[in-house]
Amino acid sequence: MNILLPGGEPFLFPGSQVGCLLVHGLTGTPQEMRWMGEYLAVHGYTALGVRLFGHATRPEDLNRARWRDWLASVEDGYHLLRGACSHIVLMGLSLGGALSMVFATQFPVAGVVAMSTPIETPDPRARLLRPIFPLLYLVWRYIPKEKTSGGQDAQATEEHLQYPVYPTRGIAELHDLLAELRRALIKLHVPVLLIHDRGDDSVPASHAQVLYDRLGTSDKEILWLENGGHNIPRGIEREKAFEAAAAFVSRVTGSPA
Amino acid sequence: MKSSPHGGEPFFFPGGRVGCLLIHGFTASPQEMRLLGEHLAGQGHAVLGIRLFAHATHLEDMVRARWRDWLASAEDGFHLLRDVSQRIVAMGLSQGGALALILAARFPVLGVVAMATPFDLPPDPRLRLLRPILRPLSLALKSIAKGPPTWVDPQAAVGRVAYTAYPVRAVPEVEGLLAAMRQILPEVRVPALLMHSRGDTLVPPGDMERIHDRLGTAEKTMQWVEHSSHGITLDADRETVFAAAADFVRRVAGGRS
Repeated sequence: MNILLPGGEPFLFPGSQVGCLLVHGLTGTPQEMRWMGEYLAVHGYTALGVRLFGHATRPEDLNRARWRDWLASVEDGYHLLRGACSHIVLMGLSLGGALSMVFATQFPVAGVVAMSTPIETPDPRARLLRPIFPLLYLVWRYIPKEKTSGGQDAQATEEHLQYPVYPTRGIAELHDLLAELRRALIKLHVPVLLIHDRGDDSVPASHAQVLYDRLGTSDKEILWLENGGHNIPRGIEREKAFEAAAAFVSRVTGSPA
Repeated sequence: MKSSPHGGEPFFFPGGRVGCLLIHGFTASPQEMRLLGEHLAGQGHAVLGIRLFAHATHLEDMVRARWRDWLASAEDGFHLLRDVSQRIVAMGLSQGGALALILAARFPVLGVVAMATPFDLPPDPRLRLLRPILRPLSLALKSIAKGPPTWVDPQAAVGRVAYTAYPVRAVPEVEGLLAAMRQILPEVRVPALLMHSRGDTLVPPGDMERIHDRLGTAEKTMQWVEHSSHGITLDADRETVFAAAADFVRRVAGGRS
């Protein structure tokens, strides 16, 4: 009767008063962020990897999710982390990056690391179809996934825990969340580190540049990877990303790495 | 009792080697477990009070909730707490007690405390009539207002964070959860403490006896309190409840924490 997919559970690695709140991507699980959490914990930080509602259970559950549920999941993790930490940095992958930035306009955080984060739904067909979505949803519940190329650590890819399909409603909710993100960007005034792979074939690199340009904060930076893939925290260049994230945390919280 | 500046957010109090997982009840929030949590933290234990999906947000969110989501929330809490405490005691109020009992049957815990926990839906005459048609009914009737509060101690109502109506669509979900609980009770093989108020007018006191009879463990005790309404973690007997829970943790942890 266990509901959570084995390996997809949220995690909490105890550490210092500086906490990192880690948010995975659409159809993924906390496993996506676990290696990053372990790296940060080794460097002395507390790391909490949330599980977004509808994820790491079964695909049908994701069709019942709304993006405000995901924001609530992030907020839950934030309040739990505040029990142990006085400073919190949010770190997210793709959808997780978008949620982190929206969240940072609503709650006091020390900074945000957003990886492979879109500024609009990457697939143009999804954008076109959004207005007639309620009708479409009657017949079309799941969109098959295509294999992504590049930047993959073969073993990491094989063991990557995710839903085998995109629940259609999940795509619609991502679309709406990104509209909220676009409204929120100018209001974001904490330090932001964007990390993006130039060869990301799920979310093109141009998204990072547009995010950068529209961010309200002047303390912003893009770290470009050459072969990190979309799933940066499990890709070949993850160490580079982890190092940059840890250095970022150290700087924005005034704590030694 | 001080009035709480807190809302319905989950909470985490770092502590010693025993971790207490606290699960609130139907339509309520972590707020109703917070005082118990503070008491246990005062004894040196780690405490994590989760928020069940669709609770403490908007009543409308409950129409999308399924009882598996609540079990997933409980599992989330277990995994987070397990990362910081090797030994866990699961505790819940009302429907939260049912979730704690299910966890106790499926996950390695030291023991379980189930407070004011129902064996089945309350014997409300309206419910008996409408039970088979609640799902279609919920399309027309979204919620049913709660009756006037029945607190014995008026302080219990201060800072209360809970929905003021019962969401009709969620009632069959509670029913499903309790059916699942009844099925696994014989598989609970860790020490169990049950608590109930003789003054509970929502969940019949006899339900504690029915749960007690079905529990698989031989190490099970029933503790009555005399003066409280259903919400025994907030009402007149709360200190007795806190002391009994803390005592139970001490006992199952082998006298050391």
